[in-house]
Amino acid sequence: MSARGRFLLDRRAFLGEPAGGLAAIALASLARADAVVPYRPLIRPGEPASARPALFTPKANRALVIFCSGALSHLDSFDYKPELIRLDGQPMPGASGLVTFQGEQGALTRSPWDFRPRGQSGKMVSDLLPNLASMADEFCFLHGMTAKSNTHGPAENQMSTGFTLDGFPGMGCWVSYALGSPSRDLPAFVAIPDPRGGPQVGSNHWNSAFLPAMFQGVAFNAAKPLPHLAAPAGLNPMADRKSREYLRLLERKALARNPGDSELEARVASYEMAGRMQVAAAEAADLSRESAGTLRMYGADQADPVRAGFARNCILARRLLERGTRFVQLFNGAYAMGEGVGNWDGHKTLVKQYSVHAPILDQPAAALLADLKRTGLLDDTVVALVTEFGRMPTFQKEASGRDHNPAGFTVLLAGAGIRRGHSHGATDPFGHKAVEGVTTIYDLHATLLHLLGIDHERLSVYHNGIERRLTDVHGHVITGALA
Amino acid sequence: MSRSNEEKKHPPAGTSAVSILHLILLLLPGEPPPAVMARCVSCHGPAKQRGGLRLDSDSRALAGGDSGAALVPGKPADSAILRRVASAGNDRMPPSGSPLNPVEIKELTGWVSGLKPGAATGDSRPHWAFSTPVRAKPPGTTNPAQSANPVDAFIRGRLAAAGLEPSPPADKATLLRRLHLDLTGLPPSPAETEAFIRDPDPKAWEKRVDRLLASPRHAERWARHWLDTVRFAESHGFEMNQARPNAWPYRDWVIRSLLEDKPYDRFVMEQIAGDRLGAPEATGFLVGGPWDQVKSPDPALTAQQRADELADMAGTLGSAFLGLTLGCARCHGHKFDPITQADYHAITAALAGTRHGETALPASAAESPRLEAIRKERLAIEASVAPLESRLRPPVTHALNTEPLGPVMARFARMSITASSGAQPCIDEFEVIDQAGNNAARGARVSVSGTLPGIAIHQAVHLTDGRYGNDHSWIGNERDSGWLMVDLGKVVQVHEARWSRDRGGEERVFTDRVPTAYSIETSADGSDWKRVAGSANRLPKGRKVLSPKPGPPLSEAETARLVEAAAKLAELDAMEKKLTGGAKAYAGTFAEPGPLRRFHRGDPTQPREEVPPGTIRGLGQGGPFPPGLPEPERRLALARWIASPSNPLTARVIVNRLWQHHFGEGIVATPSDFGRNGAAPSHPELLDWLACELVANNWSPRSIHRLIVTSATYRQAGAMRPEAMTKDAGNRMLWRFAPRRLEAEAIRDGILAACGNLDLAMYGPGFDLFEPNSNYVKVYTPRKTFGPPQWRRMVYQAKPRMQLDDIFGAFDCPDAGQIAPRRSRSITPLQALALLNSPFMEQQAGIMADRLHREAADDGARVDLLFRLVNGRLPDAEEKSGALALVADAGLPALCRAVLNSSEWLFIR
Repeated sequence: MSARGRFLLDRRAFLGEPAGGLAAIALASLARADAVVPYRPLIRPGEPASARPALFTPKANRALVIFCSGALSHLDSFDYKPELIRLDGQPMPGASGLVTFQGEQGALTRSPWDFRPRGQSGKMVSDLLPNLASMADEFCFLHGMTAKSNTHGPAENQMSTGFTLDGFPGMGCWVSYALGSPSRDLPAFVAIPDPRGGPQVGSNHWNSAFLPAMFQGVAFNAAKPLPHLAAPAGLNPMADRKSREYLRLLERKALARNPGDSELEARVASYEMAGRMQVAAAEAADLSRESAGTLRMYGADQADPVRAGFARNCILARRLLERGTRFVQLFNGAYAMGEGVGNWDGHKTLVKQYSVHAPILDQPAAALLADLKRTGLLDDTVVALVTEFGRMPTFQKEASGRDHNPAGFTVLLAGAGIRRGHSHGATDPFGHKAVEGVTTIYDLHATLLHLLGIDHERLSVYHNGIERRLTDVHGHVITGALA
Repeated sequence: MSRSNEEKKHPPAGTSAVSILHLILLLLPGEPPPAVMARCVSCHGPAKQRGGLRLDSDSRALAGGDSGAALVPGKPADSAILRRVASAGNDRMPPSGSPLNPVEIKELTGWVSGLKPGAATGDSRPHWAFSTPVRAKPPGTTNPAQSANPVDAFIRGRLAAAGLEPSPPADKATLLRRLHLDLTGLPPSPAETEAFIRDPDPKAWEKRVDRLLASPRHAERWARHWLDTVRFAESHGFEMNQARPNAWPYRDWVIRSLLEDKPYDRFVMEQIAGDRLGAPEATGFLVGGPWDQVKSPDPALTAQQRADELADMAGTLGSAFLGLTLGCARCHGHKFDPITQADYHAITAALAGTRHGETALPASAAESPRLEAIRKERLAIEASVAPLESRLRPPVTHALNTEPLGPVMARFARMSITASSGAQPCIDEFEVIDQAGNNAARGARVSVSGTLPGIAIHQAVHLTDGRYGNDHSWIGNERDSGWLMVDLGKVVQVHEARWSRDRGGEERVFTDRVPTAYSIETSADGSDWKRVAGSANRLPKGRKVLSPKPGPPLSEAETARLVEAAAKLAELDAMEKKLTGGAKAYAGTFAEPGPLRRFHRGDPTQPREEVPPGTIRGLGQGGPFPPGLPEPERRLALARWIASPSNPLTARVIVNRLWQHHFGEGIVATPSDFGRNGAAPSHPELLDWLACELVANNWSPRSIHRLIVTSATYRQAGAMRPEAMTKDAGNRMLWRFAPRRLEAEAIRDGILAACGNLDLAMYGPGFDLFEPNSNYVKVYTPRKTFGPPQWRRMVYQAKPRMQLDDIFGAFDCPDAGQIAPRRSRSITPLQALALLNSPFMEQQAGIMADRLHREAADDGARVDLLFRLVNGRLPDAEEKSGALALVADAGLPALCRAVLNSSEWLFIR
């Protein structure tokens, strides 16, 4: 046998494949390191936002991500640590002189909120968020989560875009790029900012970055409607209508002069959708037809404008999901006011700060989940309650709060395809570092995309020399969290 | 719909048997022997790259791994790979399983002996973009009536080969509108259009071309294209995203450079080393990217932040000038291009003296040489004292100051202050750290020289109360002097003293009254004192050392030299301030950096060997710089290597960018990736010809613009032709001028121009489209009302990073988080809503209606004028009757709104 022939055979043996077609294909794929075939959604110019099939049969047809800005402490909410209670006030073993984000660490400190068993599963959850705690049987708790950055900005970026740097498309943009929207009249991706303001990295969460602008999330909430939805005040409805009719005439003539111009067709389509969106988005954001009972259930009747405001945002989220919006990102917490004031960044006075923030999140978010379950939407909606990273089991030196901790935190999953009443992964006995079933934000993204029928390794777009993915070059579906 | 993905080549989903065979045959010549494939590739191959090394092709093996070269081609005896497989130690390869047998070792030896040095990566054929451009002769044309422009000869050569005809010229009105929008981003006025149509001069087109190319409007329009390419923005990004109020001088420098048709090689060099070339603001390029303002005492985070800064600088430099995805080689050898991790680090080493900051600007060009002389003198002084300064500790700070003490056994510690930054000294906490890392002075008895009378928050007891901040501090009763002493109660081993004037924790942080000259002494018995620390070995305020090198304490003579240098530097600062009037630019600030180490897998907590500064080996005349090159010279050397005719990429990359913005698509469709993973050029010979032409014309960009827009190819009609569509739907061969949607800036500027509101004031600080606020994390609330201050061209918007304009941001405006060398051009309902309903559009439609009322006598004339202003033509009968009916029913503003929303207005065609 010739050297070349022997070599080919050796390679087949090396690949562990029978000689023949498969081995040959494997060889061909060796020719490129990025052998995964990128998935290119088929986007029709006239209907760029219309629904597209998933790569495989999805468990979930839509997604809701509740983002708790400022880093919600896993140790005071969902991650029960008896050792932390036992060693309260003692230095953390093996951590002397530990310097974290804001500086030196003091002693281990148990949560000021008691934990007790909840639901059928008996899951230990604290009293910080009693309404969410009562729904423990709905959740899969990912206790082994880790983040790459211990700074809010980069970490928020990573949780929503997969990258710690600025300039990458939000998760909802990727989903809207891949799947479009079942609704012809509403944006595929809506971001609902907190009544107190935007998250730390603002529109990074929903910017389309290098994806086309049509996949960018549209930000509005119950108090601040979608921009430019209503015709200008100075134009009466008749003038508005006639002016748009005349525009249609101009566009029809432009099309006649330039037959087959797909960009012109796309513009005509975009004005038609804008017209429908004006009606549909206004209707979706109009909560006046919601019953008094519903408003009460969510807490929208609260006197505190922030609590009522977040409750109204939760109702808006449900209305959008009902009406076919593919991806809703609901924000809890804002950063403009600074550390811990309007968000979960409890460095200095944990009890004081969380006592304010917890009731804002708890009742409305729990009501939203219950409502989704009641209406059956939860059967094909995947829900994630996320935050940028965890907090330390110690209090900061000379303070009564916890510093940043990207080495371990908790994410909650619920809804379509999720293993209910289950906990996946664990932190060490103090809740400092994830040690079991360790998962990354890449894994979380891979899992959410998987539930939506998307292979995270194939959903990519070419940008400056590389096929960019939501999961960069990482990520594994967290099968242990799936039903 | 965007085109950003259409032209890219991807591995086909269903590869035919023929092409698989072809691939296998291609692979074989560059393949390592079976021993390597069988024993090494499971860890050093496509699936895993232990140590960053791949051995599954000759070229990848030659590229080496994280720890450098795995083998020396032709020299098995010098090759690490052969040493490692034969090793008896625990570095033997493979680490598990049986060692290689003699037959396998022989195979390996034979392979390394037969290897030749060459292109490091990918297949063995040289990649087109890495060899010097060759000036091809434009193909001969058979039809003598055709244009003599060489651009046309290349384009038509390829069209003819494909059996395609070019399109006929577009009509004159369309052409003039195309030229104006393309070159200046503004529509022609009706008068300009009419004059052009009537101009009988056969050189009428060339006359317009030259006039527009020399116009400031052209410089403004094309500056925006460059600013996209280099991720320019006027805020820091990241979570706080505070404004960079002095970033605009870089934007102005770009506009000025284009206006004077600065040679492109000079344009490149000033951006890398403008501080040495009389254009300090041009180095705003280096630091134009995001900068994380949130700092932390966590050293891993700090190292990561600095590594990210350098990666942004090197990555942007590579993509903007070289069309190389240099950032891919940060953590491992580039997967496609001949860039090793060492090359990446050599370039970051050349840039490592660069920091984000502000630099003084000359008030006028005349003062520039004097300013330059001051800078040179300052650098010389700084260089002469750098070895001394590197032995000093950082300057005192209002925040935490740490004083290593020995360790020493002590019961008492005292601090004696002999100077402060103003008034009576203030300290909020004094700590003494024991062996266990605890503060032994917490709650300790404290005595002081005296206390400023009558202020409860400034008492001596606060010195050891464990609370930080001005509200819990001590202030002495004498200007510039005082002492404090703590009694630890018993003798303990102490390691460190810590003190601060205001360590934060309160709303306001105070930076005054900081002790600047002091000594710290300890005593075991309260009578026998030993000086253990002090300010003598600390740098003066404002100085910093990038690479502290511990050394012996300074001698008296050395201290005197430092004092003298500090006085001279202060004098130079004062002279500089006088020359500049205090004007500043956000630009690079430079200092001699310490040695730069390669970060294993890009991880700054895993530094490995030192990498000397240099350029990319094997590209042009790249390689390490001569040893010992100081800071500014390194950047100059890097700049010269890029801006050299022998660099195969620089000229090609820029002419392609120019081409792209004229035609909507580059000859290479991936303008910042000319590597193997980028798109292949549609007209390689034309690209090379243009690159050679640029260099031959003294790098004049204008000469290339002129060649392109005077070609018949550029002047073709834009109409679709079904028979051509079947052969080349993407118009890669340029059988027509493909229409395209205008960019956000051109839409906004054009609306303002047509309505008669555009303010053409050039340069200086930009206008803000957001409401002002001064939150910790800046909040960008879009403006709801607009007036003349916001009616300048959009290139003068103070552009925040990651925050798009409320109205025009929807039109694919880049957010400057990443480079945007090629915008997508999407069409969305949000664009429609913004143009139909935004307050800006309502206002402009009203102003347009006023203008029509003013300038035309009746509705018929007003409709005509509107069409001429917006579309450069008169309405046809149907458009006119419809318009008149609309005006009668709903008024003139409703008509203006409709026409300003029309596709004809929003497209270059």
